Amino acid sequence: MTEPVMLTVNGIDYRVNVDMGRNLLSVLRNELGLTGTKEGCDDSECGACMVLLDGQPVNSCSYLALQAQGRSVTTVEGLTPADGLHPLQRSLLEQGGVQCGFCTPGIIMSARALLDRNPSPSEEEIRIGLSGNLCRCTGYAKILAAVAQTASDG
Amino acid sequence: MPLLTESKHFIRPDGPDKVTGSGRYVADISLTGMLTAKFLYAGVSHARITRLDISAARQVPGVFAVLTQEDVPERRFGSVADRTLFAKDVVRFEGEVIAAVAAVDAEAAQQGLDAVVFEYEPLPAVTDLEAAIADGAQLVHEGWADYEAADVERDGNIASFTSMIRGDVEAGMAEADHVVSSRYVSDASQPAPIEPRGVLAQWEGDRVTIWSSTQVPFQARDGVCETLDLPTNRVRVIVPHMGGGFGGKCGFHYEAHVAALARAARRPVRLVFSRQEEFIAPDRRREGMIIEITTGLRNDGTLTARRARVLLDNGAYSSDASFFPHMAAMQTLGPYKIDNIHVEASSIYTNRQPSGSVRAPTAPQACWALESHTDELAAAIGMDPVAFRQQNCVDTGETGVAGQVYDEIGLQDCIREAVSAIDYSQELDENEAIGVAVGWWPSFPGPSGAFVKIDSDGKGVITTGAQECGTGSVMTLPILAAVELGMEPEDFELVYQDTSAAPYDEGATGSQTILNNGRATVEAAQQIAVQLKSLAAEKLEASPDDIVLADGKAHVAGSPELAVSIADLAGVAAEGEMLLGKGSGTPPEYPSAVGVDCIGDRGLSGWVGPQFSCHAVKIRLDRETGVVRVLDVSAAHDSGVIINPIGASGQVEGGVLMGIGQALTERTVYSEDGAQENPAFLDYKLQTIADAPPIRVHFVEIFTPGVGPHGSKPIAEAPNVATAAAISNAITKLVGRPVAQLPMTAERVWGLMQGRGGG
Ligand code: FES
Ligand code: FES
Repeated sequence: MTEPVMLTVNGIDYRVNVDMGRNLLSVLRNELGLTGTKEGCDDSECGACMVLLDGQPVNSCSYLALQAQGRSVTTVEGLTPADGLHPLQRSLLEQGGVQCGFCTPGIIMSARALLDRNPSPSEEEIRIGLSGNLCRCTGYAKILAAVAQTASDG
Repeated sequence: MPLLTESKHFIRPDGPDKVTGSGRYVADISLTGMLTAKFLYAGVSHARITRLDISAARQVPGVFAVLTQEDVPERRFGSVADRTLFAKDVVRFEGEVIAAVAAVDAEAAQQGLDAVVFEYEPLPAVTDLEAAIADGAQLVHEGWADYEAADVERDGNIASFTSMIRGDVEAGMAEADHVVSSRYVSDASQPAPIEPRGVLAQWEGDRVTIWSSTQVPFQARDGVCETLDLPTNRVRVIVPHMGGGFGGKCGFHYEAHVAALARAARRPVRLVFSRQEEFIAPDRRREGMIIEITTGLRNDGTLTARRARVLLDNGAYSSDASFFPHMAAMQTLGPYKIDNIHVEASSIYTNRQPSGSVRAPTAPQACWALESHTDELAAAIGMDPVAFRQQNCVDTGETGVAGQVYDEIGLQDCIREAVSAIDYSQELDENEAIGVAVGWWPSFPGPSGAFVKIDSDGKGVITTGAQECGTGSVMTLPILAAVELGMEPEDFELVYQDTSAAPYDEGATGSQTILNNGRATVEAAQQIAVQLKSLAAEKLEASPDDIVLADGKAHVAGSPELAVSIADLAGVAAEGEMLLGKGSGTPPEYPSAVGVDCIGDRGLSGWVGPQFSCHAVKIRLDRETGVVRVLDVSAAHDSGVIINPIGASGQVEGGVLMGIGQALTERTVYSEDGAQENPAFLDYKLQTIADAPPIRVHFVEIFTPGVGPHGSKPIAEAPNVATAAAISNAITKLVGRPVAQLPMTAERVWGLMQGRGGG
């Protein structure tokens, strides 16, 4: 059963016909072509699919597209400025917090949500804020440093 | 001093793609008319196929192709050629591919799979290593003797075997004041890259392009050519961005299945694994092991002899695992001075997922066993474990276990640095302890090639066979080219991960990029340096020998004002003889191992460029629950001169955290009959940022001749050797005995405190 769904993603309104059971991640990637959001597990366990829903981080693999109707979705593409990089993106690169990069968009979205609600998080608060994002490459040290740097740069 | 301290701020060239989400990984690429591939897996660990009928599946609406082994040439592959693309007659593990379907979408593909008739007669599953090598054991491969396997010692369920014998172990034991025996058992674990693998294939005429998340594009290409009977120049493998591998994406996997589907369906076909498939199907898991070590030592700490027996779980097929017994043997001997040794190591077929190279194959488990045993040795004579290692570990000019004499090595410095960085003698709470372990890992010389060109505006392109899976080739290679040419790393772009564009390279495997492709890139850049110097010499009226390339210019030595920019020289060259360099160089040779008798060692007893490490960890134990928390880690590494500090420290931090996971939580649980019980992140726990301790990284930078460029050695696998061992030693200090099972889960630690289990 497909249903027409109205989605607002990165400030743009889309009308898509999707199966009732379809998750938000697959609609973002396959219908809207926003492939920056990744699928690592489809099971709410890795955070690679993290997007913001009205500013709150959610695992888009475990969220129905229908449930996002009428709410504002932000993906990594929406966070990237037209020119240059978002401060989180820049500090992740400067600190070396990116290796394979597969976890990176999800980490950026979680970090963005954290800094929006708490602009100067303690190290412990950063750890809690990012604890839903698995990274297999970095050991997290440089990711932690990047988020702290973004916070301290204001 | 790192080669290029400024490189600290050199942003990885693929970084902007990755942070903005604009970079494409395989699952992000779609082609017009693209179909979805799905596999039917055996779902049983050992069985004889009695019926396989795909005729109904081919009729399912939306299904364009259904393939089984009948539809592809009969070719066996692997380091022991024991495997076909699809199961033939017998299935030997649950993740074996029976049939593949390509259909318009995932639902239709699933319906196609559901319509395949697959019937079988179960066979007894071989899952116990000791039972598998007992007389009369059920064979995993009845026809093992007919498989091709160059230089691999085999026998029945023994898929590969190595022994290393040196000196006189009986006499050594007889000289000992103490003889200590230990038995350690390690479970299997998984590489678990966050990106599940993907393969996309498209044919144009008789040529196929395959986008694959492989660490080894040339091996993948060669696998396709071998199994589908194609020449190399009709198969092009491209790796777009790749979401981590850790060995899991080494080897030739599903490229041929997808290419064959695309050919049969006459459409592009894409396969993307689910997380569960990523756990179950690939022939790349970290093997379970049984490690028995007996060591003789004197009261003064001298090691007089070591005997060891190692059993490795090879799984159902040999993948690339034939060299594992040798690696495990070297790891159970370690970077120590022992003259009398006798080690036997066997990799044993079972009806479980095949084992294959996962970051430093065999090392974390075998090092964990050896180094836990080493603390038992120190305890037997009442010596501090650090002092014991300082006395017994090899140093520059000394002879190691394989009879190899080491030139310039920094193991003793690693011990000193790691111990001092963690403040080894600090006051500790009664639930805290510090454990220390040393590790080692070889470098793997191999062929590799690169092209470098400088275009008319003075900007460069490196076209390289090297592969980037997160490890930082994209940074290291531009740094190396820039150093040769007096340019900046930012002046270079990379064309890479395309088998039709670049010369051969072994890929992101064996930490070999810096060593082999580094050598190739330097050689290619040097050819351009010669050209630039002669162009500059003409312009500046000097001898080419007096020209120095630095800061983007060519100048006359001693007269920096007599200069011309490289961009200007490039402009001149573009009008005539162009700035093109190619390199491959000669790989370093394996040193000889003296006085060691080996069977099946595959020529690896003498190690090129061994890398050394010492890890020290501070832990806290919750005595109520057995939960161990790692509070602090210091990791000191001798990987020679460091070319790219930010990349190298990132490798150490990631390797250490992976080691903590292996130490405490990462474990694939198998049912009695060989099926995985926890193929999901919910039950297979990776470390999170909340678990991650601070990791102090220290490089003992010793110029190492004859390995990588500028005195460098590799780095990517070495950090994944000693961490679990150090944690084991810390736990032993708190609970009195080694846990002797890996991972050292809370349950096992708690059981040991209750007087159960342990070594
Ligand atoms: S893909 Fe959504 S949490 Fe892993
Ligand atoms: S950078 Fe590879 S998973 Fe995080």
